[in-house]
Amino acid sequence: MTTRAATQPADREPVGVMPVETVPMGDLGTIVDEDLATDKPWLVIVWNDPINLMSYVTFVLQKLFGYSKEKATAMMLDVHHKGRAVVSSGTRERAELDIYRLHEHGLWATMEQSS
Amino acid sequence: MSSPIRRRRDGRYVIRLDDNARQVLADLGQQLPGAMEARDPMVRRLFPPAYTGSDQTGAEQEYRDLVDNALLNHHTRSFEILVATAHADTLSADEFAAWLDAIGSLRLALGTRLDVHEDMEVPAPEDPMAAEYGLFTFLGELQYMMVEVLASELPDEGRPEGTL
Repeated sequence: MTTRAATQPADREPVGVMPVETVPMGDLGTIVDEDLATDKPWLVIVWNDPINLMSYVTFVLQKLFGYSKEKATAMMLDVHHKGRAVVSSGTRERAELDIYRLHEHGLWATMEQSS
Repeated sequence: MSSPIRRRRDGRYVIRLDDNARQVLADLGQQLPGAMEARDPMVRRLFPPAYTGSDQTGAEQEYRDLVDNALLNHHTRSFEILVATAHADTLSADEFAAWLDAIGSLRLALGTRLDVHEDMEVPAPEDPMAAEYGLFTFLGELQYMMVEVLASELPDEGRPEGTL
């Protein structure tokens, strides 16, 4: 089982009801031992939009996530043909960071918790 | 004849555009920061939501409070660079990235105002929006060429996850 240092911003709404054990670690925050079964990852979704170029969307996915050209192209085509695609997933904090980077690049992206 | 946009061996980017086109970029680049400050409806695409659930309005407001200034400053900086270098024959890598950001933002703004959508009909020449649609098309062609150059610099195989 891995433990990881996680900052828990006090003003966040709780992600879900989960039993946690916290071990204070002074200035570095706390190590949170979470029940992973209820800690569902957050999905980062890119939506189709009629303005962005397909080549630009592919480029952004390669640049931001390090995906191969093939994978980024496949994701872009999913966005284009299916209307949306999951481009990354992870903790809520990580997802918000990814969302911000996508927004910065002009993509339409939202996040939702996997069900 | 080589592409109007290319990367030179010294790492600078060569931009071949006529003076009229450059002035158009400078003029547009000067208008957008004000439109963003005023939250003109045409820039709403530059501040998209992160959370869209009806029960997530609190989370969305937190996100907005966190990022709106950063987004505004980021794009404003790109427009400033575009305006400052609009008549430059070559650009540094940072300036080129700023041009890409600015041009992309301009496309989003103009595209919103034009209500660009899939299978849209090109406005007739006498349509009052025809000129703006022409601008939108021009920006798209420019962005397309810039992306081609930048994409060719990325490794096809990608990079290990977690590295920038």
